[in-house]
Parts: sequence; C-alpha cells; structure tokens
Amino acid sequence: MIKEVLKEIKDSKYISKASIARKLNTTEDVIEQIFSELIRMGYIREDNTKSCNMKCNGCSFASLCNRVPINTIMITEKGKKLLNRQSF
Amino acid sequence: MNTIALVGNPNSGKTTLFNALTGSNQRVGNWPGVTVEKKEGKIKFKGQIYTIIDLPGTYSLGSFSEDEIVARDFILKDKPDVVINVVDATNIERNLYLTTQLLEMGVKVVVALNMIDEAKAKKIEIDINTLSQKLGAPVVPTIASKKKGIEELVSKAIELMHKDVDFKAHISYGENIEREIENIKKVLKDVKLDYPTDWVAVKALEKDQYILKELEKTHNSDISSLLKNLEEKEEDYVLEVIDKRYEFINRVTNEAVKLPNDNIETISDKIDKFVTHKFLGLPIFALIMFVVFQLTFAIGQDFLGGYVGTAIEILGSAIETLLGSLNAPDWVISFFIEGIIGGIGTVLEFVPLIVVLYMLMGILEDSGYMARAAYIMDNIMRALGLQGKTFISMIIGFGCNVPGVMSTRTLDNKKDRMIAILINPFMSCGARIPIYLVFISAFFPEHGGLVLFSLYFLGIFIALLMAKIFSKTLFKGESSYFIMELPPYRFPTAENVLRNMWDNVSEFLVRAGTTIFIVVAVLWILAMLPVGVEPYSQNSILGRIGTIIAPIFAPAGYGTWQAAVGLFSGIAAKEAVVAILGMVYAGVEEGTALVTAIQSAFTPLSAVSFMVMTLLYTPCAATLGVIKKETGSIRWTLFSALYSFTIAWLVSVLVYQVGSAIGLG
Repeated sequence: MIKEVLKEIKDSKYISKASIARKLNTTEDVIEQIFSELIRMGYIREDNTKSCNMKCNGCSFASLCNRVPINTIMITEKGKKLLNRQSF
Repeated sequence: MNTIALVGNPNSGKTTLFNALTGSNQRVGNWPGVTVEKKEGKIKFKGQIYTIIDLPGTYSLGSFSEDEIVARDFILKDKPDVVINVVDATNIERNLYLTTQLLEMGVKVVVALNMIDEAKAKKIEIDINTLSQKLGAPVVPTIASKKKGIEELVSKAIELMHKDVDFKAHISYGENIEREIENIKKVLKDVKLDYPTDWVAVKALEKDQYILKELEKTHNSDISSLLKNLEEKEEDYVLEVIDKRYEFINRVTNEAVKLPNDNIETISDKIDKFVTHKFLGLPIFALIMFVVFQLTFAIGQDFLGGYVGTAIEILGSAIETLLGSLNAPDWVISFFIEGIIGGIGTVLEFVPLIVVLYMLMGILEDSGYMARAAYIMDNIMRALGLQGKTFISMIIGFGCNVPGVMSTRTLDNKKDRMIAILINPFMSCGARIPIYLVFISAFFPEHGGLVLFSLYFLGIFIALLMAKIFSKTLFKGESSYFIMELPPYRFPTAENVLRNMWDNVSEFLVRAGTTIFIVVAVLWILAMLPVGVEPYSQNSILGRIGTIIAPIFAPAGYGTWQAAVGLFSGIAAKEAVVAILGMVYAGVEEGTALVTAIQSAFTPLSAVSFMVMTLLYTPCAATLGVIKKETGSIRWTLFSALYSFTIAWLVSVLVYQVGSAIGLG
C-alpha cells in the first residue's frame, strides 16, 4: 500500500488525497497516515508556506494577510531510488 | 491481578467508554517520569472487582511520542490480563493500524467497535463475524456515548482473560522479513529482555530507536554485530514491515467492510476538472481575479467608502463646532480640520477598499482555490522551464514582498531560489494599493477594477519574463520537481471571514500609521529646511533632491521634483508615497486637495506610466533588507534594487512614449 501511494504521487499531476484513496480503495484518513509515514521514513518531503517562518512583524498589512498554507510534496532521492527498484 | 487496559486512537471514544465503564469510580494521576495523564478505575462484574487502565490515545505503538511509549510499555511490561482496543467504526481502516500492532505483541485483545451507530448512518457496512475471524480477536459493537454494548464487551473481555489462548498475529511479513525475524530471534535467544522476543525482532527491523537503545544496553557482541549488519543492509525493512501491516488491514477490510459510494467523483473533483483544465484554467483564474477587483471597488469604494466619507464629514463638522464653541485659535482649528481630519480622512477612505480586497483574497484562500491558482501557474512556469513553486512565493508577495522573499526558502536549489527572490518584488504588494487608488480616483474612477487587475497581471507578466531571462542567462540548470496538493474545496463561513476583522483593521491602521508617520516626519523636516525657505517648495532640501532626480523621469511623462520625491520616499516604505505626494503637491498631508493636484500635474497617460513605475521599481527598504539576508550578498541586493528600477523605467517610458505616439497623451 505504501509503495502504491508513492507511485500514485509520482504519477499524479497534482495530489488529491481523496482521489488517491478512491483509487486504492481505502479512506482519506489512511492516505493521510501513509503520507505521514512516507515523510517520517524520508521517501517524500512536504513543504508548506507556513514552514518558512515568515517574518511579517514589520509589515503594515500583516494583520490583513490570510496566509492559508499551500502544500507541496517532493519525492526525495530515497523515494526515487525505491521507485526505480520496484517494478510497478 | 484482573487488569484491563483500554487503548485506542485519539477521538475513538475511548475516554467515553472508560467513563461508561467506571462511572465516578476513577482516579487521575500521572504516569511515572512523564507528564502523560494516567486514569484508573474499578468495575464490578459478577461479584469480582476489575481494574481498568485508560492508556493515552495513540495512532500507533512506535516510539515517536511519550504517549506511544507509555501505552506500549504498560501493555508489554505491566502485562494487563486483557486489552480492550477501542476502534472508531467510522474510521475503521485507520484505527486498525493500532489493532495490528497490538496483535503483533501477542497480547489478548478484544476489539470494541465503537460508534457503530454513526458508521451505520454513514452507510459503512461492517460484517462483525468476518472482522473478528480475520483479525483473530473478538469484536464487540458498542456505542459508548449511549452505554450500549458495554455489558457484552466486559463479559467478552473477562471470558478472554480466563481463556488460555495463543494470540498470534496473522500478519505475513513475506519471506525476506520472516527470515530476518528468525535470525534476530536466534541472536536474542539467551538475552534477557523486558519485551517478547518476536516483537523485539520486528521492532529491530523497524529501527525503533527505543528498542535499538535497549538492545545496545545489553553490551552483547552478537547483538552489536546484528545491529551493525541491519544498518548496512540496503533493504528498507522499515517500509516493508509497515507496508505488510497495511496489506493485512487491506485484506481484512476488503472482506469485512463495505464503504459507501466507492469510486464516485466528489464535487471537488468535478470543479477541478474545469478550474485546473489545461486551456480553461488560466482564463478562469483571470476571470476570478477580475471579479475580485471589480467587487473590491463596488463594495469597498461605492458602498463602504461612501459611509466612511460621510462619517468623516460628520466628525469634522462636530469637531469644528466643538472647537469653535471653546473659542480655540484659528491655527488649532486648521490643524485639526485640515491636518488631522483632512489628512487621515483620505487614508481612512481607502481603508474599506484595502480591507475588502484582502477579505476577498482571504475567501479565495479559505475556499482552497488559491492552491489551484498556484497549480495552474505551476504548469505555465514549467512550460517556461521554471520552478513552479516560485508562484507560491509570488502569491505571498501579493500581500507583502518580505514574507514573499522569505518563503523562497522552501525552494531546493540555488537557481530556483535566486530567480524567485529577484522576481518577487514585481508582485504588487498591499502597500502600493493606496498609490493606485489616488491615481484611479483622479483619472479612472469608473474603471478602477480593470486598472487594478491590469496592474497585477502586468506584475506577473514581467516577473515571468524576467524569470525566463534569468534562467537562460544568470542561473542555468535543472529545476527540482514537486507536486502540489489540492485540498478539498471548503465554503468559507461568514464567521471565519469576518472573524477578528475589526482587530485586524485596527492593527493595520496602527502599523501603517506608524510607518507613514516616521517617513513623513523625516521628509517634512527636509521640506522645511533650510530655515527661512518657503515650506514644501522646490528650494527646500527635499525640493532640491527632487530637482536633481526629476530629469530621469521626464521621458516617462512625470519629470517633476514632486513625483521624484514621492517615488524616492517609496524606497523607504511604499505606504508613505501617497502622504509624501500630498505633502509636496498640496501642502497638506493628503485629502481631496491631493486628487485635484494630481489631476493638474498628471495626464491620464502619465498617470498610467507613474502607476507602472510604482508597480515595478526598486523594492522598499524592508524587502531589500530581507533580500540581503536571504542571498547573503550585498551585490545581489544592489542588483535587485537597480535592475528593478531599470525595468520599471523602461516599461514606464515605453507606456508613455508609445501612448503619446498613438495620440493617447
């Protein structure tokens, strides 16, 4: 299942946990959990705009800005190696 | 001992079940050495007293948190007679991961399939017998909140407690791992450990840091070489073990659980087919932004702006009447009415527009659309050979370029980062909006939305163009590849949108007011010196500085010392430009006098040219500071300041000269 999720990440244009869940016949919560495992094991890396420690203190507009994070996923070298090793 | 442990995922209803079991007969303390809460209670069943221990809620039994270690140590070291695993029936697959780990431990487990009523309401069909059979453990459906199934659960747990059964996991790890487990077990055979050998073998393969440390503590040479051997192997047993658990869960749920509406497209998917479409995506994005800018003017200026204007007029009259009745001197009345009410009043009239624009952008972010916009731009940027993630920093730059530049830290390689940093200031930050609004009020009051929309898109266009040029010249190389996550769409609630709006607006007014005040105060002194000079005149120090710079802007249609001083002040802070223009053009801070003065000093064409200059020229001091910090180079900071000025000047001159040539001047 974990490898299938990694392959889905590789093959998708964008990540929708709901559609990966549907494709792998499981639930979005399970996919969420697998994403956490993949991140913890170092196969993928997740970045979001909140993780850059933005310093808005000096800006007059800081209080008006919404800053909803946008998530991006990157397959790490370790992840790429695994995908190459597996014959999907 | 008659101890029953309760274990389950957070929100599985474990505590509700504990309360239902023990009632008021419970005691709260702490687990030794940690800050995790320990709950203990007693129950009486068929004349016998049993102790119930509520273990911390956890998703797994690894060693990644205190909760996990406390739960698994209690199960393995204190050895309760039976473990009740509370499973949320509405989220059964995820919850079964913990169940699988319990089964691996070889302890006696009863599954309390909780919230079974909610699962039924969600049309999740669970075959209890098959589930029990596949797991190899008794399963009892419960509704802890309604105290249903509790008696049967306790009865099953006690029955199991006294049964001599061998609880072995039915998980097949595959040939490779099974072989490794056997090898490890052989090494551990004569070692005394607090944990079951089978379980330690699996955990060692999983590289469980806690267990590896325990093994190291044995100072056994065979174990040391075993650990070294495991470390050197290329196979990732961690992944394999976890994967096999998921395979096991999948096999169980495939036979015992039927989820509703499999393979049915969600509304999010349907919307995404249009908004992320290869050809339709960009026009839809442009249309949405156009509507946002139109609404900004319709709500912020035509509707709210009118109320604010009226309120300021009423306030002005009231203060004038009050001061008159107190026989205040004329200069005091003039200071309050023309200076304070006239000056700050104009700023206040722009506030509704700014607030509405930010509110609408916030709605787009909350709804999940902004991630789609970034995805659409990602495709375009990739087509141009650029790193798509850059656009996320550009979206942040619409609010303020300082965090926009800082957010480029998430970009992996230097090439992508440098390009993203250098193009971010072309994103029109919020501080530039008041400048556009003054010129829109003076020349294009009927087309405010269109002008604002065009400026924002010009900024994006120039940024993409420069990014392409940089990637072909200064920063060549491969961009790293990433995939964007599109969250499900959400309807932003009115409560969310309006939440803290007042606090946010007042904070904005204080911050912007402070910045404007500091810049204006410094430039006001320059406008008053040398002593005896006519204030705000060309002979003041400020006027002389402006006169030296002004000829540079003559080809762009605004070669006056006042315009030059206004732009110069924007390098300190863009928020201050309008106040400075007010000071040097009208002799007051801002107010309607400024709009009138702008109408006589500019033409519609030179106004457009000035707005383009404002959009693209040198970033403010705070942004330059952060560029220096992020690039670690004064050279790149100076480059950013000078190249953006050059681009702005070129585009501004182009607009003015082409416009004049075709008769728009």
